Amino acid sequence: MLKLIVPFVLLFAAIFAVVASDQPDPPADFTFINRGDVTTLDPQRMSWMQDLRVARLLFEPLVRLDVMTTDYQIVPGVAERWEVSEDFKEYTFHLRQDAKWSNGEPVTAQQFVYSWKRALLPETAADYTALFQIIDGAKDFFEWRSEQTRQYSIRARNLTTEEKRIESQKLWDEASAYFDENVALRAVDDHTLTMSLDASTPYWLDLCSFIVFAPVYEPLVSQYEQIDPDTGMVRLQLGWTKPPLMISNGPFVLENWRFKRGLFLRSNPQWWAKDTLDIETIAIPSVEDSNSQVLAFESGAVQWVSDVNADYRIQMLADKQAFYDENREQYEKLKAEGLDQFAIDAALPDDPRKNVHALSAFGTYWYNFNCKPTLADGRENPFHDARVRRAFAMCIDKQRICDDVMRIGTPVARNMFPPGAIAGYTSPKGLKCISDANTPAEKQAIIDEAKALLKEAGYPNPAEMPRIELLFNSDGGHGLVAQQLAKDWEEFLGVRTFLAQKEIKVYKDDLKKQNFMTGRAGWFADYADPTTFLDLNRTGDGNNDRAYSSPVYDGLLDQAKAETDPEKRMALLTEAERIIMEEDLPLVPLYYYVNIYLFDPDEITGISNHPRLQQDLFNIDVLGDGKGRDEIKHIRNKDLN
Amino acid sequence: MLGLILRRLLQLPVIILVIYTITLTLSWAIPGNPLEKPEGRQPSAEVIEAMKRQYKLDSFPAFYTSYLKSATGIDYLNDTLSGKRARDREQAEAVGVAAPTTYVFNLGPSLQYNDWNVNEIVSDALPVSVVLGLTAILIALVIGITAGVVGAVKPNSAADFATLMVALIGISLPSFVVGTMLLLLFAVIFPIFPVGGWGTLSGLVLPATTLSLPFAAYIARLTRMGMIDALSADYIRTARAKGLGEMTVLLKHALKNAFLPVLSYLGPATAYAMTGSFVIEKVFSIPGLGQHFVNGVLNKDLFLIMGVVLIFATMLVLFNLAVDVLYRWVDPRIS
Repeated sequence: MLKLIVPFVLLFAAIFAVVASDQPDPPADFTFINRGDVTTLDPQRMSWMQDLRVARLLFEPLVRLDVMTTDYQIVPGVAERWEVSEDFKEYTFHLRQDAKWSNGEPVTAQQFVYSWKRALLPETAADYTALFQIIDGAKDFFEWRSEQTRQYSIRARNLTTEEKRIESQKLWDEASAYFDENVALRAVDDHTLTMSLDASTPYWLDLCSFIVFAPVYEPLVSQYEQIDPDTGMVRLQLGWTKPPLMISNGPFVLENWRFKRGLFLRSNPQWWAKDTLDIETIAIPSVEDSNSQVLAFESGAVQWVSDVNADYRIQMLADKQAFYDENREQYEKLKAEGLDQFAIDAALPDDPRKNVHALSAFGTYWYNFNCKPTLADGRENPFHDARVRRAFAMCIDKQRICDDVMRIGTPVARNMFPPGAIAGYTSPKGLKCISDANTPAEKQAIIDEAKALLKEAGYPNPAEMPRIELLFNSDGGHGLVAQQLAKDWEEFLGVRTFLAQKEIKVYKDDLKKQNFMTGRAGWFADYADPTTFLDLNRTGDGNNDRAYSSPVYDGLLDQAKAETDPEKRMALLTEAERIIMEEDLPLVPLYYYVNIYLFDPDEITGISNHPRLQQDLFNIDVLGDGKGRDEIKHIRNKDLN
Repeated sequence: MLGLILRRLLQLPVIILVIYTITLTLSWAIPGNPLEKPEGRQPSAEVIEAMKRQYKLDSFPAFYTSYLKSATGIDYLNDTLSGKRARDREQAEAVGVAAPTTYVFNLGPSLQYNDWNVNEIVSDALPVSVVLGLTAILIALVIGITAGVVGAVKPNSAADFATLMVALIGISLPSFVVGTMLLLLFAVIFPIFPVGGWGTLSGLVLPATTLSLPFAAYIARLTRMGMIDALSADYIRTARAKGLGEMTVLLKHALKNAFLPVLSYLGPATAYAMTGSFVIEKVFSIPGLGQHFVNGVLNKDLFLIMGVVLIFATMLVLFNLAVDVLYRWVDPRIS
């Protein structure tokens, strides 16, 4: 028997040694669970919300949005002031002298040019490269470079290794020269950056505040870029985004980042506004399971869960409502005083039920209609006809989907994006639907109207229509919405339906290839302009899964692009949205997203409730920890300023 | 024994090559584009085309050979011999920064986690999975053998039924239920252990226990059966007749034989404990390897799939070899 015990004792000792040698991070001033695992900290290459959120702590772009204001005011970042031409095409930024990298070196205009150029190289695979292409000449450079490397890779097959090395370097020099000559982005001196845009872009400052426009430290990053002799493309080596190598210019520096374990950030002593910080360290542990996230909060291990997805969140929100009802009088009084939702919660009596917070988000859940005449397999596609799309869009009880299926207070959507979210923009009325009917007669009228539309489109008897297929992905609870939707169409129109539940990659592929009749989708805004949604329906747009193509619609967007008067521009965009939401219906919106936070308003302050869900966590103050100002931070209203 | 070890080691490259070919063919056939994200912003067509060229995702044979060359160290050898590595090092030294790390066995970048390569992912996750898996197996052995022996000493007694019942529950209850219940009980209501995470011994207790239960249940049944068989054998009667104490009879004579089926079960069980912990990794936020098998396939992250499969296949072969060696050492009847 002893013979057998020996190997196990040895094993146990080995286990102990491995665990003991693995030190976790020390406790931080503020600990939160991000929306998911960080995939990259290279600003130009990111697009996930969790990456952007951490990057906003590490990097600082030219300007920032003050997320603690209701209208997201533009405030200085690396640039201390800027000039904008009247037609919103020429922008000049003056960089502050005291903007420094975490190694003490100054942030210069040239570094911005270098970083933005990276975003414009096809091989960087920047998800947001289209935003940079607003700069005059940038789109042309992007296409020119794609073609240049494509041709080289064909030519390179016949070259020797040494020739390839020389030729690929020459290729890069050519590209650099082409960029300098044709792209209207200039570092006039170390602290002045100018750019001209190819169209009037009143929201350019908003874009410049987007963290993908942040600079990277050229002397470091350029060491990790090598020219691949086989393809002629710049190949990015990994490594510079990880501590201790990472050099950044934001409020915090990255002290530790371990894959699937978490990140640890410490305040940056070189940051010009470091005196405004109320915390010194931030920990972001990786907790994936939605139940464990809530348990981590309840046990006190984390102070903020940024996206509560546990199934029982419905109950949590109901409890919160009950808490409000018990304190109705005080709640109304505080609300009348103009306090924001988190300040109200903080002022109400201490109660664990108040820790959950539902926030309306700047995003919409919808169903795409395939607008092509035939499906990918050659079958006839009834949704090719706008009248059919309209009829189906009308026959949805959106209220029932929100109240009985979602049950987390999502508002019914009639537009592509929530009305009132963009200053100066008036949303169209949107198409009526079943849930607008107040009486059975009104409901019947809507159904009759829809059936008349189908008849006009050549379907006098909906039961004889081709079977309607609803495409959705199996994860994420989309099945319930799809079932309700199918039920609505069967009940109100009498059509036959089929639920096509597919695994995410297949679902995505089907959407891309228009291999669907109608399929679930959604979108969150990137910036505060209607085009962040409307561009998705442009002919040929990379995200136009509907294959919708309307010369009228495209024309309106082009007109808006050329329009230099902001008011007229917005009116054109309203008309464009009206066309897709009331007439053509390439997609039917169901509800606007709601995001659920979990934090104790008596303990944490500095979290914004703005629908764009952007958080600048350097605003955070942990109340009563003896560090920082320790007072509630209110979200400021424009009128109260 | 030495011959066995040598033979197995020689078979290793062939086995790995077969696994590599089959896995890559299957992974290649997964529908969807590995460069597309499941949600949100999609790269433009030009970007996808450029990336496909860069990663050789546009041709199966090109990817097959280039990945094989980099993963087996042929590329590294080539670069060293041609002086490319020395040149790169000099270049980096000239500007005063550290040259990017090069790997002998380069498993490639992860297509989903842009800032990580598969070598880093595996070297971070593998020790975690090994420790978690081995701890779970150790716990399973202690629980399983104890329960099995107790049950076998008095078959059909209350104690026997109790252990069988526990075993049944251990096998039937899914680990996300057990895990969440343990968390609620021992991390939230009675905060003895941390809610999740990795790096402390106390943080290992709950996940390892959760992971061990199905194995413990199976080991208990194997031990019970083996013990009941052994206890009715002639040599046990002889042992008792010559006046040996009951403990000695049970542990030294009966268990020694009853343990053999358990030992042969340990090989696959350990392998499964190290990789099949996907759910437990999620519930307890453990940065293990199991999730990469699942996520790699879901995201069609070819480099990640191939990396973890190659590493795991190598380990599995070596592991089975270790169990075989152990078996022969314990039971001299097998040669």
